[in-house]
Amino acid sequence: MPALQASKQNATRPPGQNLRVASVADVSKTYYMGSLAVEVLHGISLDFYGGDYISIMGPSGCGKSTLMNILGCLDRPTTGTYYLGGEDTSQLKDDELSLIRGARLGFIFQSYNLIQQLDVLENIEMPLFYQGFSQAYSHRAAYQLAERVGLADRIHHKPFELSGGQQQRVAIARALAMDPLIILADEPTGNLDSRSGMEILDLFDELHKAGKTLILVTHSDELAERTSRRIRLLDGRVEQDERMGV
Amino acid sequence: MNEWVFDSLPPAPESRQGERQSRFGWRVSQITRLGVKSIFSHGLRSMLTVLGIVIGVAAVIAMLAVSEGASFEAQQQFRDLGANNILVKSVKPAEVEETSRLGFGPPQAIVYGLTHADIQTIRDTIPGVSNVVSSRIVKKNVWNLGHSMNADVVGTAVDYPVSRNYDLRDGRFFSDSEMRDHDNVVVLSQEAADVLFPIENPLGQSVRIDSDYYDVVGIMESEGFSNLGQNQAGASNSAPARVFIPLTSSRSRFGETTTRQTAGGVESETVELHEAVIQVEDQESVIAIGEVIDQILQRRHRDVDYTIEIPLALLRQAEESALRDQIVAGAIAGISLLVGGIGIMNIMLASVTERTREIGIRRALGARKADIVTQFLVEAVILSAVGGLIGVVLGITIPFFISTFWGMTTIVTPVAPILAFSISAMIGVIFGIYPSMRAADMDPVEALRHE
Repeated sequence: MPALQASKQNATRPPGQNLRVASVADVSKTYYMGSLAVEVLHGISLDFYGGDYISIMGPSGCGKSTLMNILGCLDRPTTGTYYLGGEDTSQLKDDELSLIRGARLGFIFQSYNLIQQLDVLENIEMPLFYQGFSQAYSHRAAYQLAERVGLADRIHHKPFELSGGQQQRVAIARALAMDPLIILADEPTGNLDSRSGMEILDLFDELHKAGKTLILVTHSDELAERTSRRIRLLDGRVEQDERMGV
Repeated sequence: MNEWVFDSLPPAPESRQGERQSRFGWRVSQITRLGVKSIFSHGLRSMLTVLGIVIGVAAVIAMLAVSEGASFEAQQQFRDLGANNILVKSVKPAEVEETSRLGFGPPQAIVYGLTHADIQTIRDTIPGVSNVVSSRIVKKNVWNLGHSMNADVVGTAVDYPVSRNYDLRDGRFFSDSEMRDHDNVVVLSQEAADVLFPIENPLGQSVRIDSDYYDVVGIMESEGFSNLGQNQAGASNSAPARVFIPLTSSRSRFGETTTRQTAGGVESETVELHEAVIQVEDQESVIAIGEVIDQILQRRHRDVDYTIEIPLALLRQAEESALRDQIVAGAIAGISLLVGGIGIMNIMLASVTERTREIGIRRALGARKADIVTQFLVEAVILSAVGGLIGVVLGITIPFFISTFWGMTTIVTPVAPILAFSISAMIGVIFGIYPSMRAADMDPVEALRHE
């Protein structure tokens, strides 16, 4: 089983935890531009465990984003397998991938990616909407999440009425709506000033302490220093995968 | 050591049990609200798009109402002439007119038109003819003391009102005995009565025609449509009103030759009968009998000095041309609806491109392709349904205004608004499908990267 092999290769298991949430096994990704084939990922294998606080770093073009898209079930690997919660995602149909994205994954983007026509509450409850929860439940859950990220007094504001930091907190609340297996964040502090960035990172630390699994793609060393496992990619390969202290 | 946190897919959205409110209700209201929001966020653009549908729907309804009204009016006119009737009229033949103009010497009376013998032959030889009402029409001045008017004095039979669907308003038509006795009695049309007796009741009074006095025994209702046949025969010289006297009286008082002052001198003509209404028992045979009458008259007349009018045939023609009008109107309106639909497609495509990123976000957050299709389709349908609704309101009010300000008959049948509205809703679906599919088929990664 490729999943087992992947776990063997990977020596970075968090102490005291042994539940895997996801694993990529020998994943490669090739893009075709006309007749030109560009292999972006060359057989990457990684295991992710519950409670991991991971940063993925690397220079531009190293395949970070491609890996993130695969982890986010937005893209499929050309070869290799991606297991999410024990499910072989290569076997899933498009609708099932949508389902998994909404239920098992939480996305946080550099540019927040909130929907401008909707207010804070409606943005937060969107994943619940697509998972078929009732309006009453969704409202309640969304309000609690807004409270948790400190925006209880802003629930009926539109995104453009909020600061960058506040918008990113809405996005985090949205990512938490379905209590996902993994929270994927792509340069979450890239558009923020340092103070708002700090607040967001503090929020990540809190989530980590609460036992969430976070994978952050970043250029920022400051961010990476807070994480407990640092993965470095270079030219589509894992260059370094180390776990920090206890 | 390698257990997974989860072993199976999350439950499908459809399987979740809603608390209190059903998921479907939320979904519809949410998607509709979203559609309305995005429509309002592009107010002007949406308004222009909707306008296309509004015009289309309003045009369909208004055009159908106008053509329906016109055809109703036309049919009503012919129906008033009687669907069982055949009208035969005398017409001055063209050649005779020529020769008389060129000729020198004393004026000669031109003899033409229907004769009593013609009518007798028709009555006797054609089966299925129930009655023939023949008339002589002489133009005379009719006097009541100081009031006078030029009128067509129609010498006719007692059945005239019945044959023309033309009712008495007051008094009675003249009787068989008055007919037999060549009595001086007259029935005025409403128009004539108004002019000659502006104040007093004309019944029991008398009017003077030439040197004779006639007792007024009845007044016909307003001539209205039933004058149409008259107008068609000789529109230029028909008098504004008609008065009716017994045919026998007309012959004995006025004779059969009339003399008229014209530009070229004096012109006189001898016409026995000016028109005859031939009533047929069975409506089915009206057209066939019309042909037989034509054959009989052809044999009996050297020149074609008569015309045969069959209201039923005219009615059929009117119905046919009304149908043609409706098809043309419908086609034009249909084209404008189609253009409206293309407008919707255009704006939806623009909207999809503009909201590529939103589509990407929604897909990342768990929206399935079907969810995206629904969202955009609902938006297209809202646009076209709102347009359709406004169009229906306009389409019903426009004919109303046409009726009030131009006096045209318009008829809004319930079918037209329903048809137009459902077509507009359908257009929303048809022209919304392609943009929606395009939205749903976008690659989420590409969509998220879109600026």
